[in-house]
Amino acid sequence: MKRIVFPFVVSACVAALPIFHAGGSGPAGTAGSTATREEYLGGYEQRAAYISSYYDTSMAGGYYSAAARYAHGKDLRTADSMFAAALKEPRGDMFWMFPCIGAYLNGKDRMSPETKAVVRNAWKTYAPYRGDTENHWAMYYSTLFLAAEQWPDLPGSEWYNGKSSDENRTDAKEYLIHWMEIATTIGQGEFDSPDYFAEYAISMSLLADFASDPGMKQRGTMMLDYLLADFADEQLDGQYLGGFSRIYQPAVFKPLLSPASAYAWLYFGTGEPSQSGWVLLPALGKYRLPQIIGDIATDRSHAYVERERKRVRNVIRFGNEKNPPVYKYTYVTKDYGLGSLQGGLLQPIQQHTWGLRYTYGRPYTTIFGLHPYWSSEELGMFFPEEIKPLIADVVASKSTYNNPDKWTGGSPFERTFQNRNTIIVLYDIRPGTSTEHIDGFFPRNLEERIIDPSGWILCKAGDTYCGWYPLEGGEWTEEHDTPGQVKNAIGRPEDIARSGETGNWRFRSTNLQNGEVVEVRSRAEIGSFGKFCAGLRARRPRAVLKPGAVSVDYTTLAGDRMRFAFPDTRVLNGKTIDLTTTPLFDGPFLHAAVGSRKLSITYGKRKLDLDFTKLTITE
Amino acid sequence: MHGMNTIRTLAVVVILAALLPPCVPAQSTVYSSVLATHLFVVGAANPQTGVFFQHPGDDTVWSHTGSKTIRAFNVALGPGSHGRVIYIAGGNGVHLSRDGGRTWKITTGWQITEVMCVAPDPADTNTVYCTTPYGVFKTTDGCSTWREMNTGLTALYIPSLIVEKGGLLCCVSEDGLFRSTDGGGRWDRMALSVSGTRILAQSPADPSFLIAGTENYGLYVSHDGGTIWTRSESGVDHLTFYAVAFDPVNPDIVYAGGYVTGVYKSLDGAKTWKRTNEGLANLNVHAIAVDPLDHNRVYAATLWGGVFSSVDGGAHWKSAGLSGSQVWSIVIHTL
Repeated sequence: MKRIVFPFVVSACVAALPIFHAGGSGPAGTAGSTATREEYLGGYEQRAAYISSYYDTSMAGGYYSAAARYAHGKDLRTADSMFAAALKEPRGDMFWMFPCIGAYLNGKDRMSPETKAVVRNAWKTYAPYRGDTENHWAMYYSTLFLAAEQWPDLPGSEWYNGKSSDENRTDAKEYLIHWMEIATTIGQGEFDSPDYFAEYAISMSLLADFASDPGMKQRGTMMLDYLLADFADEQLDGQYLGGFSRIYQPAVFKPLLSPASAYAWLYFGTGEPSQSGWVLLPALGKYRLPQIIGDIATDRSHAYVERERKRVRNVIRFGNEKNPPVYKYTYVTKDYGLGSLQGGLLQPIQQHTWGLRYTYGRPYTTIFGLHPYWSSEELGMFFPEEIKPLIADVVASKSTYNNPDKWTGGSPFERTFQNRNTIIVLYDIRPGTSTEHIDGFFPRNLEERIIDPSGWILCKAGDTYCGWYPLEGGEWTEEHDTPGQVKNAIGRPEDIARSGETGNWRFRSTNLQNGEVVEVRSRAEIGSFGKFCAGLRARRPRAVLKPGAVSVDYTTLAGDRMRFAFPDTRVLNGKTIDLTTTPLFDGPFLHAAVGSRKLSITYGKRKLDLDFTKLTITE
Repeated sequence: MHGMNTIRTLAVVVILAALLPPCVPAQSTVYSSVLATHLFVVGAANPQTGVFFQHPGDDTVWSHTGSKTIRAFNVALGPGSHGRVIYIAGGNGVHLSRDGGRTWKITTGWQITEVMCVAPDPADTNTVYCTTPYGVFKTTDGCSTWREMNTGLTALYIPSLIVEKGGLLCCVSEDGLFRSTDGGGRWDRMALSVSGTRILAQSPADPSFLIAGTENYGLYVSHDGGTIWTRSESGVDHLTFYAVAFDPVNPDIVYAGGYVTGVYKSLDGAKTWKRTNEGLANLNVHAIAVDPLDHNRVYAATLWGGVFSSVDGGAHWKSAGLSGSQVWSIVIHTL
């Protein structure tokens, strides 16, 4: 068994809880939509056992090793000692809260009274910080709610924050309901994050499994259904597809490194076997994915367009609207997914505006581009600290933020227009901004990367073909992964294998008025790679690239006429596209209107409705 | 046994008394709110942050009170409480101690976050204001409940608020200064409407003398309570000011500081300014405080440089501890 070990992301709180990705040695997934419920559940149980079996025998210690032993009733005294040892020095804020309460809830009927007392004391004496992001709050309040349920009727003197059990439970419940209302009416702010999906899933999983309040238990179950459905229809081969609110390097160019991929494997059976600590608590839990969501995740027999509406993180400066809308567009096939956000600054630091991901050639299964941008104004939009020193503050923990070679982040000078498997990306960059170049990422393992005299860059990745037409010239550089790129902001290291390998390719163009037209097709859609190339060679985008007047007219391989003028004029076949009418979910499987607090999930003749106004799940 | 318990109780009291800020200090107590020490990443093993206090004679020795890992933007002492009532404006709400820092409670719920300023009303111990990136909140029942007070505000990012002498409120916002004559029930725009106002200070000697610091436009002065404002430019080479402090004894002496400014000092009531930075190793000054008991003793809180102090009215500075910390505010409390 080959295991590659990745220490847990937040080393502070769960240093003893490793993430594992094991290549191909776990139970087989259940890809395809033909699995019966029994087959699906059988596969799920195997995968869950594969994950938990590591932790219930691991001597690494920590909360997860204790939680798995408690859940399985194994080696309980070892679990007690591991739990107590971990609690000698609690740290990690909400990243401590969820493994701590997760271990406690899995073991409270089996642990010793002494261990119980140690746990209780920790919630009195250690004061976790609430944090400042949506995922922080989801973890903080879901686990505080569960803790307050476990220890009811205690006065404020028995809690780290001076509030009584009742105050804590009420406060946490109110916030969680508020968050669910926001997410199901105008969308998540930290939406579709391959790296932060786990934080929400764990929080809701714990509620679903352990909340005593029946309403909160139901809400946890429904929200986990909601999150997994949102992921399922933008998932391919274990990868999250499309634009993302937040993603770290290196997962942006090695998609299966994201914790969300561990969830894809556990719940959908797609991607690579994983023993990630991020998925242990759900794997120990009683929640089971509705069959319809699993079928949506694995049925790629027909290509489809998924349109979604999310929201911008709270804007506190430089804007009149607290949560402007985010419009997401994703085209999904069995071979690839092409997805995008409309562009602009939608999230600080780690936005991924657009990208192509495909099934060929792990781990580098993506092509994408960006304008590497940073500014104190961007940070001031979202963070309350003083504006001018903010870049230095952020770089102290997120070292790639002001790196001109970075591969994550949004830009106010970037906009997109996507129609099925064609995307136009335009830039009108203000002179003197953080960087005066745009970059494209082309992985090292493409079968073909032809710099064609026609102007097209023609790429082949297995059965996926990608044509990239840069509107201005540029320069190619080969680059190997660097420690700065493979180590994320809070210290997740990654092995750097480079001996004898070629590097990935960066295409950099330094014109301020700029852009690219990207066409993607699969063998199933167009036939041979030669036919794809011939089709593209016969067409050229017509571009106007002047400051303040950047536009492109282009007719796609499918014959659609696209006209895009920066920043927001999008015309398809003569009809202006109005993004503001985008529903929360609009595709073949998911349907939700803005403001509805409902999600309708359909697959064939089957249907599952999540109604947060009534707290009902109807099949 | 009873005697032994009494001894134990006395021992606990003595130990607590040594650890806590004195309730009846013989001298000033300096409180600093620390946003970050060296580095603050939520979820990481951060060094201790929050509120620290020291006595001027303690040189660089600071003691901590309250939660150990909060982003503390601001600290305030309850008027007339003799140091017993302490408020912390923290990233996770308004923290309150009623026993000089021995026990604490977060008094706000989930609705109030990233509290940047807490301002108790000197006229009513049950009334406290706090400001956030989402506006102003007020309690009138001793922090049991809080309500939003944003009517009339055209921008909700409110980094600070002062309760003026006479009971008026004034808050600074991204969209200029606002004043309320009814305890925050309604806010009206003041004459200074430059964007990005950051700080407002009122002269203790002359309530109509106000100085505002701004993000991009330097310092503004009003001598009529805020009707007419004049940019104070003479001797000023910088534009971003986070801190203004009046000398409590000499009404003509004023200090100001901001982004890479070091400390500016005026000897003529903000007509002219001169930088006075000898020994000030960090020029990002976020707060300045003058000791009411010794007006030559001045403190400068810096971003990532800790606290600096001067015993000669700012002519010379030396590190006063909390090195490497991002100190957001500094308050001197005296009886």
